[in-house]
Amino acid sequence: MRRFLVLLLVLSFVAIPLGGVVAQDEKVLVVGLSEDYSRLDPGRAYEPGGSLVYHSVYDTLVTFPSDSTAEILPNLASEWSISDDGLVYTFTLRDDVTFSNGDPLTAEDVVFSINRMKNLKDNPSFLADTIASVEAVDDLTVALTLTAPDPAILAKLVFDAFSIVNAEEVQAQGGTDAEDAAETDTAEAWFNGNSAGTGPYVLESYEPGVQTILARNEAYWGDAPYFDRIIIQNLPETATQKLSLEAGDIDIAMDVIADQLPSFESNPDITVFSTQSDTLIFLLFNQDPEVGGPMSDPQVQKAVRYALNYAELAFLSGEGANTPAAMVPIGFAGALDPSEGVAQDVDMAKQILSDAGYADGFDVDLEYPDFNYIGTDFNVVAQKVQADLAAVGINVTLVPQEFQTSLDLYRTGAQGFSLWLWNPDYQDTLDYVEFLPGGVVGLRANWTDENADQEILDLRDQVKVETDDAARIDLFTQIQHYEQESAPFAPLFQPGVHFAYRSDLQGFAYNGQWRVDLTQLSY
Amino acid sequence: MSLYRYLARRLLLLIPLLIGISLVSFLISNALPADPTAANLGERAAADPEIVQAFRDKWGLDDPLYVQYLSYMRNLLKGDMGTSIRSHRPIVDELSKYLPATIELATFGIVISILAGIVFGVISAVWRNRPIDFIVRIISLIGVSAPVFWLALLGLIVLYLRWGIVPGPGRLDARVIPPPNVTGMYTIDSLLAGQWDVFRNALSHLMLPSVVLAAYSVGLITRITRSSMLEVLSQEYMNTARSKGLRERHVILRHGLRNALMPVVTIIGLSYGNLLSGAVLTETIFAWEGIGRYAYNAARTLDFPAIMGVTMLIAIVFVVTNLVVDMLYYFLDPRLRYQG
Amino acid sequence: MTPRLNIIRRRARQNPLMVAGILICIAWIFVSIFAKYVAPYDPLEQSIMERLMGPSSAHLFGTDQLGRDVLSRVLYGGRISLPAGLLVVTSAMIIGTIFGAITGYVGGMADELLMRFTEIFMAFPIIILAMAIAAALGPSVRNAVIAMIVVWWPNYARIVRSLVIQVKSNQYVESAQAIGASPLRILFITILPNCVAPALVMATLDIGNAILIFAGLSFLGVGPEPSAAEWGRMVSDGIDHYDQWWLSAFPGIAIFTAVMALNFIGDGLRDLADPRTRKAVG
Repeated sequence: MRRFLVLLLVLSFVAIPLGGVVAQDEKVLVVGLSEDYSRLDPGRAYEPGGSLVYHSVYDTLVTFPSDSTAEILPNLASEWSISDDGLVYTFTLRDDVTFSNGDPLTAEDVVFSINRMKNLKDNPSFLADTIASVEAVDDLTVALTLTAPDPAILAKLVFDAFSIVNAEEVQAQGGTDAEDAAETDTAEAWFNGNSAGTGPYVLESYEPGVQTILARNEAYWGDAPYFDRIIIQNLPETATQKLSLEAGDIDIAMDVIADQLPSFESNPDITVFSTQSDTLIFLLFNQDPEVGGPMSDPQVQKAVRYALNYAELAFLSGEGANTPAAMVPIGFAGALDPSEGVAQDVDMAKQILSDAGYADGFDVDLEYPDFNYIGTDFNVVAQKVQADLAAVGINVTLVPQEFQTSLDLYRTGAQGFSLWLWNPDYQDTLDYVEFLPGGVVGLRANWTDENADQEILDLRDQVKVETDDAARIDLFTQIQHYEQESAPFAPLFQPGVHFAYRSDLQGFAYNGQWRVDLTQLSY
Repeated sequence: MSLYRYLARRLLLLIPLLIGISLVSFLISNALPADPTAANLGERAAADPEIVQAFRDKWGLDDPLYVQYLSYMRNLLKGDMGTSIRSHRPIVDELSKYLPATIELATFGIVISILAGIVFGVISAVWRNRPIDFIVRIISLIGVSAPVFWLALLGLIVLYLRWGIVPGPGRLDARVIPPPNVTGMYTIDSLLAGQWDVFRNALSHLMLPSVVLAAYSVGLITRITRSSMLEVLSQEYMNTARSKGLRERHVILRHGLRNALMPVVTIIGLSYGNLLSGAVLTETIFAWEGIGRYAYNAARTLDFPAIMGVTMLIAIVFVVTNLVVDMLYYFLDPRLRYQG
Repeated sequence: MTPRLNIIRRRARQNPLMVAGILICIAWIFVSIFAKYVAPYDPLEQSIMERLMGPSSAHLFGTDQLGRDVLSRVLYGGRISLPAGLLVVTSAMIIGTIFGAITGYVGGMADELLMRFTEIFMAFPIIILAMAIAAALGPSVRNAVIAMIVVWWPNYARIVRSLVIQVKSNQYVESAQAIGASPLRILFITILPNCVAPALVMATLDIGNAILIFAGLSFLGVGPEPSAAEWGRMVSDGIDHYDQWWLSAFPGIAIFTAVMALNFIGDGLRDLADPRTRKAVG
């Protein structure tokens, strides 16, 4: 009898249906995300997951359409003009915008926000490198002066770090836009529990590692969003996200991986959205013979590009994956058509190696971080590369490294032959000059102004300041053809990116900058 | 030596122990091959020497080691464990948030392990080599050799997705607001606040993860209890007790189990420690933001202040657990006086 | 039939589980040594276009992410996993037993010091310790094993210590002391054999855990070559792929059978070493 009672007690705990504590008539959206951010100060915005929050809570001067990054649209700035020398951008602000606390938006807020982000000297500050100064011309006019023409400046302004905050409110919380903001600004802790933006939602609470809750901004200047609340729940394991979505506890799973897709297909309650990501997975060869050994030989680099089976690499990555022709990912203006890519040609690769004096092949280490990124398991990719190179006589030893150790070696240019990824910092092809000599990634391959050809240096210098669209595309085309022939990189693939959501959810759209605009969703 | 003097001495020993732990963890975290600059700055910021230098200055990474250590210890005495390089939040705040979550989970886990483990172990020893023994042994072998994530995912698929009798991952349903913070343990806090719905929700969220977490220790405790019981059952005093005409059940439980418990108590102490620091996978799958995941993330991002803080904390919990275990020895077997 | 064979047969009938354990172990040793002839495919041969296929007649256990045959990889897997797991656990058990037995018997300050010392070790998350050791000694399989032994031995030291304390208060120990036996003799001949059983049981159970954790260390660059067929790694690859259950289920079952077999043998050894137990409970 006693045992029976205990059993009954246990059952009653698990079986009694639970009354919700948040009011039942509220419309709540629950998003499952593997949380990659640990703070929510827009001046320090960097991680892609944070965009879900920043984009819902803050606005930027200009923006993209919800489903593409191909055109720049007005947002807080209703219009703008560019001086003939391309150095001064003058923005006219909307006059009907208020912050969540009711304050009207003024030019001073824009000046404060941009200067603060620049002077915090945190992760996103490099985006303001080409900004010489920003000034309020009058209450609703802002002038942005550049140090040199920057064809990507408008695309950069869409990034979360250029979110416009309420200057007065942030200053009251210890924020500052002064030159020494990196040392004196103390608003970060406040931003982790509050927001000071003009977006459709306000940050209600943020519990790191658990959940981020957004509530409707009652003072929002645009059309009110459908949901009263958005809960972004941290579900670090993709398998758990999938289960929670299937059970209906979350409405969107942000971290679906390609190999999970087949099992979603049979479920009519769930819709999958797949597209190719902006992430570029590539091989790096060090140009410094001391570090790279045989891999520093441009002929060997070329042979490797011919040795790889790109179709199988893309298949390995799963649905939605594609192979870019060179180091500019598909989807960016000026990217070569994938059909122009290097096709696998094992005989050609062997021929080039033999002409370069490596007829008998050689041994080399492939270093890479041992981790998973959006379903791409670096260990698996590395093993495929190993197998492809073995077929042309290059004997690869895999050297997986702990992520931070590997990152350290990579950033200091100490890896001879390695496997890495690159995500765009902003949605403009100009970001990919970093793969050229002297660029951030170029330097990691020890590709410098000193050891590079004049041809590629000239192309690089021209494309950095060219603002005419047709001329830019022509320059990028030449650059990519050059990369196919002679560059210390081999593009492997762009993995697919996948989202799954409850089928009755409306308004889902994807864009490379903020991924999903939560404010546009409804049931 | 009296129990109180022993206790006092053990508590005093905590001081050199903590200094030792802090020193070792300081040396270890600084011996790691990578640099926290790369771990905590983004692609571009890490390429900017000015930002890198500002970062190194801010965190005192260029000071000599002993200076870093001394300033750490000075702050520690003031109750300040520093600020996390990764999240920029005070370590004390973070630990006081994540530790209760893990303690709640691990305590449930250890209670399940003890109850199930000892019961299984005794059954298995008493009915040795009978079918019931065989079944119990297989169950405990599955418990120790099945990968944690199998049990977790299997539990979620069957009990959560198919049957709907346990809730999904997390410490509460997403839509449930946590109770006012007193201890940080939702079951206790909700009771203190009189929020029955929240209590039930928190409790139901604990069920599956604590069973999964307990699986390994159930297996271990079952087997150790069985083996220890067999040892004891064969001792002469058992026969003496039987010959006195005591009932078999009484003999087994009073004389047998009591004497067999010593190694079991040790295992329980060890298991509790492992449940606290080794629950990374369980915490990840069940989105249970606790100290195991915190330690793991701190190590992966080379967040030195966080590594220091979390190691010291886990050490303290270990020490306290072991102290309790040693006290239990004392009560279990009065013959064992501690000679000092 | 010779009398000796008869004894073996009788013992075997008394302890069928131990026999089963020995048979399974022999089977695994055989398969590991002759994997080349037993396995239907080359465990490293990739066939990308056939990746993640479920079990079929061509691939009884299905294929993995690179289209390799899972059955062949499981058959080869014991070559790395079993020696690594056994080495870690036996070394840790030997070291732990020696320290735990001595300090438990001597008691006093030595005991106190050892216990506090083990607490320092146990306070460190294994990943931090392993990273530090890999940094200090350089990454290699050997160092991964060393790192694990360093983390593992305190468990055995503590459990053996508690057993020794318990056993040393028994009458037969006191009588041994009374007749003037040397402390070493008392400890190693009189006390230790009575303490081995729980430590042995724990060790045989620990093997599976050691195999899984050993695989977990590979991201530090200290584990086996990534393409190598190895049970722990195969199992952990399955987390993201639970729809493709065969990736982790078969190597998981392999680990289970190995742990089970060793455990049965451990139990059996314990019974053989201690005829008292057999007589009393029968």
